[in-house]
Amino acid sequence: MNPYMSHDARILEVKDLTPREKLFTLRFVDPEVGANFSFRPGQFVIVDVRGFGEFPISLCSSPTRKGYLQLCIRKAGRMTKFIHGMKEGDIIGIRGPYGNGFPMERMEGSNLILVAGGLGMAPLRSVLWYAIDTGKYGHVHLFYGTKAYEDILFRDEVIHLLKHGEAMNCSVKLAYEVESPSCIYLERGFSDRVCRGVVTDLFRGEEFNVNNTYALICGPPVMYRFVIRELLDRRLSPGRIYMTLERRMRCGVGKCGHCIVGTSVSIKYICQDGPVFTYWDALSTRGLI
Amino acid sequence: MRYIKLPSENFGKFFNSLREWGRVYGPVKKGKVYSFQEVGDPAEMALDYNRTMLPPKKFFVGPRETILRLKNGHWEEETNVEPTVLFGLHSCDIHGLKILDGVYLNEPVDPYYLRRREATLIVGISCMPDEYCFCKSLGTHFAMDGFDLFLHELPDGWLVRIGSVRGHEIAWRHGELFEEVTDEDLANFREFEERRANSFRRELPQGGLADMLDLAYNSPVWKKYAEICLGCGNCNMVCPTCRCYEVCDRWTDAYGAVRERRYDSCFMENHGLVAGGHNFRPTRLDRFRHRYYCKSYFDPSAGYNCVGCGRCDEFCPAKIEHVGVLEEVRGSLQ
Repeated sequence: MNPYMSHDARILEVKDLTPREKLFTLRFVDPEVGANFSFRPGQFVIVDVRGFGEFPISLCSSPTRKGYLQLCIRKAGRMTKFIHGMKEGDIIGIRGPYGNGFPMERMEGSNLILVAGGLGMAPLRSVLWYAIDTGKYGHVHLFYGTKAYEDILFRDEVIHLLKHGEAMNCSVKLAYEVESPSCIYLERGFSDRVCRGVVTDLFRGEEFNVNNTYALICGPPVMYRFVIRELLDRRLSPGRIYMTLERRMRCGVGKCGHCIVGTSVSIKYICQDGPVFTYWDALSTRGLI
Repeated sequence: MRYIKLPSENFGKFFNSLREWGRVYGPVKKGKVYSFQEVGDPAEMALDYNRTMLPPKKFFVGPRETILRLKNGHWEEETNVEPTVLFGLHSCDIHGLKILDGVYLNEPVDPYYLRRREATLIVGISCMPDEYCFCKSLGTHFAMDGFDLFLHELPDGWLVRIGSVRGHEIAWRHGELFEEVTDEDLANFREFEERRANSFRRELPQGGLADMLDLAYNSPVWKKYAEICLGCGNCNMVCPTCRCYEVCDRWTDAYGAVRERRYDSCFMENHGLVAGGHNFRPTRLDRFRHRYYCKSYFDPSAGYNCVGCGRCDEFCPAKIEHVGVLEEVRGSLQ
């Protein structure tokens, strides 16, 4: 079996999330491939746009929702621009899933703090719905930092959880950087949970039961250091801090060398050893964050 | 291991017998440098070569190669591989291939690499170190496996070590070319190996090297050399264990495309680039240090990612010396 060969997947739905991001819902054309495809939140796939190239992207749907998979794709370059032009019914290639994903079994019974920045919401949405659907976890906090109201990914879902999250044992806090009438409206409605600022501002006044809580972080590289500091300040163990990282993986299977990080004592492949790492890993592997 | 002797006068016949197996590639002098090229006559080869510019990895992972071909909207695998004999590999290059094996033959197996590896017969040859070699320090100056046949120079022929069943088959089929090894041959073999061991001029002390380098992450020596470095990526191209590749799709006509992989270099600025324009290794210092760390990573099961072949030194236009940098970085800790 050639590991570089992708499987045909049909686009079932294309939905605009923001002016830059679209949500693609896909299903494998071959039912057997679809039936064999299972993943855990935090894993990624490689999207194959035949004749244009490949790029890695996190799965943003939950494995509890069978029969389809979803990818949130930002228009950033040549390939993603091409894919943004695709319509329902078109075929793209998918191979994977790759990487380790979040250790969902280990975290069962614990509270989860999901800290998302910008596009980092995509992989954490997979965890969010997995936790809500399975009901195997304690309270799920979502801290989401975004640039502006228009940039909130999965806005309907986020606002729905802002309003009705408690019934699902989930609470959402939102920080935005650029003011807009919609944000002010949200802030008025949920003054305790929506604020202007960055994602770390959402930690103000928060205390966690550190023995029964895991933190899962995904966001732009600059965010990790500040979020981790907030979590460590609240005495969360580095082993309970999971972060999912990004590199420009070409192969996804530990060959092409693009995602190698570390030094002479510890080399890691983000695609195989990650993309989910604990803060212990970051302490022992330079260059991880 | 089985040891036999190939007398000098039978060398030509032995070479021709390998041509029954497949196309034979050996070290050929081209201008000032050596290169593995197809050879039809043993006289074309320069068996006393020091090192080729491109290592044998080019036979298994090409500088630019097609992996998939798009036909009617579907990918088809490229499978054409022909039997090949690589003649005259040095021990360090055999070790280099073993490191590549560790990457490409690990699950999931790279089918292109595997097919070429299986279709290639490896004939090693003994060598004398020059001023760039430091393989002895890394334990890669002698190959215990990873070859089919290994020829050791004797005054009147070659002592042949047989390293695989395929090697046995060749020696078996052409048994008339070989002789049993005599005590005199063994004495000559030992004398050659001792002379060779004493000829190394460059050494890389390994004790605590990995930790020392990690501790010296902020050493000013990295910066000093990063400023001398031209960032050309030559060292990556000529390294027998560097294997970063980039994948590109290329249209061949209006309906067909190929997916190619090409050598990539961690010295190129876009190597550490990710979506959104963020770069994890934005400066030459970051990239320079990264390569040295990658080469000096010690894997308990496979050793270092460097085999001490000296190519990166010889072909560095800025004359940066691998061992020199590591020694200086380690020294900067005191």
